[in-house]
Amino acid sequence: MDNDFSKPQRESAFGIIIMGAHTLVKIVKASFFLFILAFVKMSGTSFIYLITGVLAILFISFIFAYLWYLKFTFFLDKEKQEFVVNKGIFNRDQVIIQLDKIQQVNINQNILQKIIGVYGLKIDTAGAHGEEVSIRAIDETTAYNLQAHLLNRKAIGGEQPEAVRENNLIEETPFLKISGLTLLKVGLTSNYGQSLALLAAFFYTVIYEGRQLLDAFKINRDEIQSTVTGMLTIVTVFILIACLLIVLLIINLVRTFYKYFELQIMQHKDALLLSSGLIAKKNTLISPNKVQVTKYSQNYFQKKMNMLNMSLRQAHFGQNKKGHEMQGNTLEIPGCNVTERDELLKMILSKAPLKGKTFIPDWRFLNLPIFFRLVLPVSIFLILAFNIPAVKPFIGAAFAYFITGVLMIYISYRRHRISVNQDFIIKTSGIWDISNEIIQPNKIQAITTFQYPWHKGVDVGHLSLHTAAGQIHFKYGNYTEIKQLVNYWLYQVEHDNKSWM
Amino acid sequence: MSADTPFTNEAIDLEHLPKYEEILLKQPHADYWKIICINLLIFFGLLGLGLSALLLFVDEFKLNAVWIVPVYLALIIIFFFLFRLSFKKRGYAVRTHDVLYKSGIIAESTTIVPLNRIQHIELNEGIFSRMYKLGSLQLFTAGGQSGHIHISGIPIGEAKSIRDLLLKKLDLLENPITETEV
Repeated sequence: MDNDFSKPQRESAFGIIIMGAHTLVKIVKASFFLFILAFVKMSGTSFIYLITGVLAILFISFIFAYLWYLKFTFFLDKEKQEFVVNKGIFNRDQVIIQLDKIQQVNINQNILQKIIGVYGLKIDTAGAHGEEVSIRAIDETTAYNLQAHLLNRKAIGGEQPEAVRENNLIEETPFLKISGLTLLKVGLTSNYGQSLALLAAFFYTVIYEGRQLLDAFKINRDEIQSTVTGMLTIVTVFILIACLLIVLLIINLVRTFYKYFELQIMQHKDALLLSSGLIAKKNTLISPNKVQVTKYSQNYFQKKMNMLNMSLRQAHFGQNKKGHEMQGNTLEIPGCNVTERDELLKMILSKAPLKGKTFIPDWRFLNLPIFFRLVLPVSIFLILAFNIPAVKPFIGAAFAYFITGVLMIYISYRRHRISVNQDFIIKTSGIWDISNEIIQPNKIQAITTFQYPWHKGVDVGHLSLHTAAGQIHFKYGNYTEIKQLVNYWLYQVEHDNKSWM
Repeated sequence: MSADTPFTNEAIDLEHLPKYEEILLKQPHADYWKIICINLLIFFGLLGLGLSALLLFVDEFKLNAVWIVPVYLALIIIFFFLFRLSFKKRGYAVRTHDVLYKSGIIAESTTIVPLNRIQHIELNEGIFSRMYKLGSLQLFTAGGQSGHIHISGIPIGEAKSIRDLLLKKLDLLENPITETEV
């Protein structure tokens, strides 16, 4: 068994198929509507050209895939503690990753990889440009072995003799398992925003591409528009909204199941192994000390059902890799209950976080949002309403808006607090989803405090803690207390010299 | 490495911790104000050239000269005033374990970067800065765009010595780690 990866080796030969398919999918995705257009507009004779064109693309992408396979090698340089990847068809590229810069190693499997029986492996680094390495096809044992090697750099360092560990991951019992029923609950109660965005994006593309198709078919657009507006009565609008809501819920459910099906968390040496996914299985191994911000949130429904959503945020630098939906950097664990949360927190933070001294914001917290979100828009609306008779009947709505607005801002004020003890900083906030963000003082990168001159007299000021995974704000606190806290955290960061990752 | 030293957990008197808010801050060099002025003059010079060209050659603009010229002049005054204010408010300090930078026209904000969190350091010299022998120092952390400090208008000799000091500190911080690993 060669499982020390010290010699350069290629991916599995199936990688050719995966790589070829990957390029093909990319090309097809980019030119999908072009193809449809071509089909519609084309006369019969040029059909053969199209087929040959498609075949040529297929052929070329597999030739590329073969060359890619030949040139793609990787190995582990034990002395320098580096993982080296050689790649590039025409130009030689060498990617060198220092092992201690690795944030996490993902083992994924998409449908094609599942059919062939290989795994993909992705390495996320903390490099300034977020460059990543992905190996598209290796078999299971190699994948897990490599993952373990990449993350257990201390073990490779030579102190422990290399024990042959083959798939000992499977023997370990998961300490957290999310059942299908819980996922159902999660799908019904959370992440509406993301699903809504997805739906909007979907409708946008449908309308945009549909218009192009209509142009291609030379269908009269006005005709469609008039029939559509003819159909819009109040009843149909309500039905439409109801349908949309149901679709939204279904999308939410499907998304939740697709992403988090059979979510399990296992402890593996000093790392955590997360695995989930319905069709494409995803395995992620992270070491707890790389987690920068731990967050759990809960809304009213979830509280009644005794479940919370957790997310573990890791360091991200600069622009996220080509907008890859932040996959690597935030790990979501939906639907765990209180005991599971506590266990997970203990694992990541090495002890259960206790709320220490709690600091609450001053009542001036309410001023700005009430003025800009309520008083200003409502007064503009009222001025409009008294001048335009058509708007007048809606004045009642303005008052309802004002009252709910005041209530929401007041709730957010009551929830906004930060609690500090020796080992943890816990920031609570939210209106509907109440979230708790937990950081350890040694994760602080920089601290900013600021104060408006008109708050000097009343001793009110603001605080931002910069971490590698975003900022944590505490607004309108007692400035003397904030300054004292800052001095204390600076002392902790500078005195302990603990590393942040 | 913290495991090597015996663990102690003494009570900390918060009152006796060093207070960042009482540090005497250094102001940027007075010559830096000249650089700001030069930059502003170049900006308004170009803007003025463009405007006067429009006023002279485009007929529709001539009618509006009544308010364009006063607005232009008012903008110049406002900008110089704001930059002067912001120049006066800036201050920096280097302590044994961290760097402080204070700025802000309306809200006074203070950012503190502990030395053991600095990722890299940049020392820039612009054309005008070089004429006045000034430099600007940037300290980057892993906290991204928000958690970084940019101090302009430091005398170049001082900037270089700060940079060297910080680099030396960074080396010292990294060395014990590499020693234990090798």
